[in-house]
Amino acid sequence: MPVVTLYWDELEKLVGVDRERILEKLPMLGCDIERVEEDHLDVEFFPNRPDLYSVEGVARALRGFFGIETGIKRYQPKKGDWKIFVEESVLAIRPRIVGCIVRNLKMSDEVVRSVMQIQEDLHWTIGRNRRKMAIGVHDLSKIEFPLTYRAVKSDFSFVPLDFDETMTVKEILEKHPKGIQFRFILEGKDSYPMIVDATGSAISFPPIINAEKTRVTEKTMDLFIDVTGFDENVDKALKIISAMFYDRGGEIETVEVVYPDRTEITPDMGTREIFVERDEVVSLLGFEINDEEVVAALEKMRFGVRLGEKGFHVEVPCYRADIMHTWDIIEDIAIGYGYDRIIPEYPKTSTIGNTHKWNDVRDMVREIMIGLGFTEVITFTLRSERVQYDYMGRTAKPWEVYVPVEHPLTEEHRIIRSSILPSLIEVLSLNKHHIMPQRIFEAGDVVVARKNRLSLAGAITHSKANFSEIRSVVQAVMHELDLGWEAEESDDRAFIEGRSASIVVDGKSIGCFGEINPEVLEKFQITNPVVGFEIDLSAIFDVGDLI
Amino acid sequence: MLSPMEITLIKSLEEGKDYDLEQAAKISGLNKDAVLKASYLLQEKGLAEVKVVKDISYRLTDEGEKYLSEGLPEERLYSLIKQGVDSIDQAKKEMKDFGIAIGWLRKKGIAKIEGKKIVLLKDADFREKELLKKIDDGETPEGVDELIRRKLVSVDEKKEIFVRILKKPSAEIKDVIKDLTPDILISGSWKGKEFLKYDVRIPSKTIFTAKYHPYEKIVAECRKIFLEMGFTEIKGSFVQSSFWNFDALFQPQDHPARDMQDTFYLDAYEDLDDDFVEKVKRTHIDGWKTGSTGWGGDWSLDTARKLVLRTHTTAITIHYLAMNPEPPVKAFCIDRVYRRESIDATHLPEFDQLEGVLLDKDVGFRHLLGLLREFFLKMGFEDVRFRPGYFPYTEPSVEPEVYVDGLGWVELGGAGVFRKEVTEPLGIKGKVLAWGLGMGRLAMLRLGMKDLRKLYQPDLGWLREIPVSRLRW
Repeated sequence: MPVVTLYWDELEKLVGVDRERILEKLPMLGCDIERVEEDHLDVEFFPNRPDLYSVEGVARALRGFFGIETGIKRYQPKKGDWKIFVEESVLAIRPRIVGCIVRNLKMSDEVVRSVMQIQEDLHWTIGRNRRKMAIGVHDLSKIEFPLTYRAVKSDFSFVPLDFDETMTVKEILEKHPKGIQFRFILEGKDSYPMIVDATGSAISFPPIINAEKTRVTEKTMDLFIDVTGFDENVDKALKIISAMFYDRGGEIETVEVVYPDRTEITPDMGTREIFVERDEVVSLLGFEINDEEVVAALEKMRFGVRLGEKGFHVEVPCYRADIMHTWDIIEDIAIGYGYDRIIPEYPKTSTIGNTHKWNDVRDMVREIMIGLGFTEVITFTLRSERVQYDYMGRTAKPWEVYVPVEHPLTEEHRIIRSSILPSLIEVLSLNKHHIMPQRIFEAGDVVVARKNRLSLAGAITHSKANFSEIRSVVQAVMHELDLGWEAEESDDRAFIEGRSASIVVDGKSIGCFGEINPEVLEKFQITNPVVGFEIDLSAIFDVGDLI
Repeated sequence: MLSPMEITLIKSLEEGKDYDLEQAAKISGLNKDAVLKASYLLQEKGLAEVKVVKDISYRLTDEGEKYLSEGLPEERLYSLIKQGVDSIDQAKKEMKDFGIAIGWLRKKGIAKIEGKKIVLLKDADFREKELLKKIDDGETPEGVDELIRRKLVSVDEKKEIFVRILKKPSAEIKDVIKDLTPDILISGSWKGKEFLKYDVRIPSKTIFTAKYHPYEKIVAECRKIFLEMGFTEIKGSFVQSSFWNFDALFQPQDHPARDMQDTFYLDAYEDLDDDFVEKVKRTHIDGWKTGSTGWGGDWSLDTARKLVLRTHTTAITIHYLAMNPEPPVKAFCIDRVYRRESIDATHLPEFDQLEGVLLDKDVGFRHLLGLLREFFLKMGFEDVRFRPGYFPYTEPSVEPEVYVDGLGWVELGGAGVFRKEVTEPLGIKGKVLAWGLGMGRLAMLRLGMKDLRKLYQPDLGWLREIPVSRLRW
């Protein structure tokens, strides 16, 4: 989630309220305050509110929240005589472009700072790292309209921002820092999107870099903004930016985008109306709230409201990109009303509680193990094949037995474990410096052929640990589980040959025990004998249904 | 009452005479450790005295021996000056260790430097050589601290212990019973005899109790609270389809949380229930009948069929609700989830989550707050407050905070009412109040832990040390 830096002097001036009151109220609007400094504060706003990624947007919302300026704010851009022609050639690469003109805005440091911040945050969130949407900001006086948005080949050249010599598209993608950073978006393309002006020279190579010639300086008074991408996200971004400049005192003029088959006028800063039923508000919030309170709450949240017979005609401002459903508006009613004013009530819903059989079985074996003097441990289920199988002298096939992870982050987290005993041996290897004897167990999940199973494993180490000691433990466990069983010789290489047994119940092997093979101990760098056992509880008990 | 060991010692040694450990061991037939232990025990009873004598001897170091034969550097320089050599350059030519020499002369206030000249301030008398000589002869003279600091002399320190019997007990030393054995009990030979008295203050060998993992105690507490509140426990597989992990929760298919960056994907696919799939797909694209605009764009079945290690327990609760769509339903799940994160003190690639859902017709946001307050109250957090929050599948959303002494308000989990875009396509009838929290956060608060790794990478020292009583709330 983007962290927005808000400077106190600016925020206090734009909101008209001192910092103490802002700090107190801000969290109740919906955000996490990350850091408060002498000259600024860093605030994390939620990803559904990109309109709050600038100090102007935050001030607009806070003025409503404080009751200084409530209700909807209307934006009326002037109709401009600016045209962008979109050529067929670019439609397959990056098909959508919108734009606007901002007039008479002094580009103070504060404004530049704010533009850069929102541009970056929108690129990240709505733009998904410029993939779905990218914004360009230009000095209008350096551009000759009308513009053409078209596809060019890799030998097309211009002077990119921050450079003083002409470069081809190919060179930009190979050498320019922004080219290197964002070329993944255009990977595999043989032609590239380009905005060129009436003189034929490039002003922007979206989504990579602008041309040097349209650079915004402190002398810039008028701006041209372009937003390119694929879908309505470009419109959302343009509306949010336009509203921000408008709030700063800039005049917005529209741009006409001429596609081969249609013409669009952007930005459309009109509002939309959504009807919210009174009953739905009461039902979702769960308490009686009267019309005046709903209207007051909505106006605090900067919506327009007209009262209807059955509810509220809510006018949604153009910059609110998140309103998909009436419930989104009802949440804002709750926020405007104040979460702190809602009196919590425990629901009357009456049901009978039940434990899950899985945990009933698990608790039973945990009690047995504690009684036998084993200390409980919990371990990770993400493992490496190396420790899980190679170290143990065992083999298994992916998917048939264990589940491999597609893109592991480290060697240690390549698979989900199919047994617990290797984890316990690892625990012992990490605790060699502690007092002996050590007796540990874990009862928990393993995953075999995609399905969770409940497993119990225990291990003992000290200088005289031996087969008869672990057999005693297994005997006691099986006695407490009230199961008849037999021990059969096994060829599990994790144990010493001739000291390795299967636990057989009704002719089926459900577990193993024995003296751990010195070859295994050597791999784990353990220098005391270790004995251990593991039992697949899912094979002998009903552990309930799993979703 | 004396132990056999004490009796042996006191009987074998003469009163009023000093014995070193070796002599005492030889005479008594005890080993040196036993002599020492018995001596101290007798001393406590006023029957013996233990003396520790430190024997110090000095030895010349290589440097010390060199100076003994050549003279100390400062002494040599002093005599050079006396011979008329007073320029620094010349003195340097005459002796290699001029630096050391002039340093000591200045320190002792015998000479000073003026420009390039050395000026004598007073006549000097060097005692050091005399001391070195004495040490070389095996003496232990006084006033050698300076020489030790100059590393000309090294010190050997030997500790010797002597025991002296002060008095022998006047009464006859009686035979006492040390170990009570079955034979003694059967024969009744203990009657009329005394038992050896032990020093009850001496600690014995350390042993440890077997115990449940501290974290499991917290889980048990949470389960108890849910069960008391009438919730049913549910459990699901770690491996889930993207559909139940993301799509069913109205997470758009291009949502950053679905990136390979953050989620452990598996290279396999699962078949899905067609009825659910169609409605969820429509809801994503245009909102279907939910009243939503939907996300627009395309929706890919393959993306939904791809398997993941579940990133939250909500994958389980939503699937359970889809299978049990008729209200009332109250269910909870405390279980393992996976995120593709590097391990550090507060981030783990797998951790446990707690989640509760309540489905009913006549409930709303206010009742969610009521549930949360009650839940946290039962957990011992008396002050709870609510802030707006954001989660992609709830509306309204809320971030509960609890007050913790010493920490202030601490965010503890998230909650909200499941969006209609989530419940309607799955046929869930009513509103779903849901809340969840990371168990690690709770464990950190409860156990005062700063490092989450401790929970899953067991340190037996920590597990043994943490008292069971501290895990009762």
